Amino acid sequence: MKAPGTADGAAFAELTLQVSEALARLGAAREVQVGCSLKEAVWSCGKTTLYRYAPLVARSRSRPLLICFALVNRPYVLDLQPERSLVRRLLEAGLDVYLIDWGDPDDADRHIGLEEYIEAHLGGCIRHLRAQRGGERLDLLGVCQGGVLSLCYAALHPDAVANLITLTTPVDFHTPDNLLAKWVRGLDTALLERCGNVPGELLNGLFLALMPLRLTQQKYVRLLTSRPDQRTVEDFVRMEKWIFDSPPQNAAALAQFVRWFYQENRLARDTLAIGNRRVSLQEIRAPLLNLYALEDHIVPASASKALGDYIGSRDYTGCAIATGHIGMYVSRSAGAEVPGRIIPWLAQRS
Amino acid sequence: MQTTGTGTSFRPEEAYAAAAERFFDLMKTFGVSAGTTPDWKALTAPLAAQFERWLQMSQSAAPWFHPAAQGAPGGFGLGAAPAAAFGPLPLGPAALQGGQVPRTFELLGRLAQLQAQLAKHWSEIAGTAAQRFIGRLGTAAAVPTTPQQALKLYELWVKCAEEAYAATVHREDFSRLQAELTNTSAALLDEQRQQAETLVRGFGLPTRSEVDALHRQVKELRQQLAELQAPRAARADTTEASTQAERNTPRKPPRAARKRPAAKRTRAPRPRR
Repeated sequence: MKAPGTADGAAFAELTLQVSEALARLGAAREVQVGCSLKEAVWSCGKTTLYRYAPLVARSRSRPLLICFALVNRPYVLDLQPERSLVRRLLEAGLDVYLIDWGDPDDADRHIGLEEYIEAHLGGCIRHLRAQRGGERLDLLGVCQGGVLSLCYAALHPDAVANLITLTTPVDFHTPDNLLAKWVRGLDTALLERCGNVPGELLNGLFLALMPLRLTQQKYVRLLTSRPDQRTVEDFVRMEKWIFDSPPQNAAALAQFVRWFYQENRLARDTLAIGNRRVSLQEIRAPLLNLYALEDHIVPASASKALGDYIGSRDYTGCAIATGHIGMYVSRSAGAEVPGRIIPWLAQRS
Repeated sequence: MQTTGTGTSFRPEEAYAAAAERFFDLMKTFGVSAGTTPDWKALTAPLAAQFERWLQMSQSAAPWFHPAAQGAPGGFGLGAAPAAAFGPLPLGPAALQGGQVPRTFELLGRLAQLQAQLAKHWSEIAGTAAQRFIGRLGTAAAVPTTPQQALKLYELWVKCAEEAYAATVHREDFSRLQAELTNTSAALLDEQRQQAETLVRGFGLPTRSEVDALHRQVKELRQQLAELQAPRAARADTTEASTQAERNTPRKPPRAARKRPAAKRTRAPRPRR
């Protein structure tokens, strides 16, 4: 691949050369693999699959830890590569880790709403795991939108969850710095639902539009001009693969999520109901660890931090981490800090 | 056991090359390639024009309504589909009902109006960004002679541009416009779907509305079935849970196998009355 432009000035010539080399490395890294830990499908419901990760060491805790990721992205970002894998760190600590993959909804799933996702899919996973263990409660780790679903489930079924962890999870959707909430507040969600499933690319476009120059230009320029080695380039490409590998969103669930949370802020206002049952954060009595990113442009820290004001649990720990939304899952600093917070916190709780 | 697969819409080289191309264009605008110090103040207008073009181009990709554009790099934005994407259906206007066509054109007109309003915002953002950048740079700034200096200049430009962008896109009027663009685009899609339904009905093919109605019926039936099965499932769960619990509980060895050294057995003293 050839870098565009011609080299006249010395600085320009040097930059042209650097960019050409980096582009060649990027081309060579195209087929890089993502996801690293072995896992086995143990249960499924529709397009949703529950996976259990193979242990890396002897299990130190018998209670399973179920990870509930967002519907809008793929969960393998939590297990991107051996050095950048929250899942692997948890496995190395002897935890019995399970993960929900929501799969790719197609047109037949367009009417699946949040109630079905929460009660039948997430709930189905939890019931399956509990049935395997004589009804024992489990630990639940909700990530981003998956954190919202986890909070709803824990509020509806407080007896099912022993310990709850939320990662970059929005709770108050109407804080002043929430740009996404401002943009979608005027959407006609009934019309949106009628239009059918939304391609993942559209949502990606929306997220990129929050900071377009940084996310679609500067990020690449920084890499291209930094004389990256092949390994750095491969790490970068893995992230890019994940960012642009978004599943389609089924119409009903997306419309409900936008209306109930982004537009009407029902969770914070304590007006949410799922399947005619009130969902109140006050009902969550389980110990709760809330990890949020200080530089999060998708879920502002203020939106996550608010959880502490609404939760019913007396054992609440809020923890701010100096990184961005995606950095929370893959950055080197958060890669150590996030499991470093979760593992001892769980160990201190039965 | 499985390991994770990868998505199919990832086309990174185009995005990287496009970013590199824009970077070099910017460097040329800054005079890096010529090696001569530009008249920075005079750069405000071309810099703004360049940024405005980029904003407009980036917003033109709308994969929701434009399947051919799916995965296209550089595109972002909500509901900013080009009006051309909503041309008449390929099967011919004769098949459409009279009332549907004016509504489609009305929506197309509205979409064009909204896109014109959006273009004004891009223009404002681009102008503010360029002014902010030149203002911070100062007129005496020298042309970069090393890659590090050039990159520093680029970083300053991105910072100024993002600040200008954020100042506009957080505003109430911009947010309303974004929502209205999406709603109008969705209304157009809905309108086209209704037109398509009129056509397929003529051929005796099932329509979306009919499939949806069937889906609702199946869902209701499933729900009724689940309700009928619920008491039986609950009983089975309880039995399974207790059996499982029983399995997990360490059992005492069978009576016959237990060692009972009778001679060493001690009894707790009985309480005195």
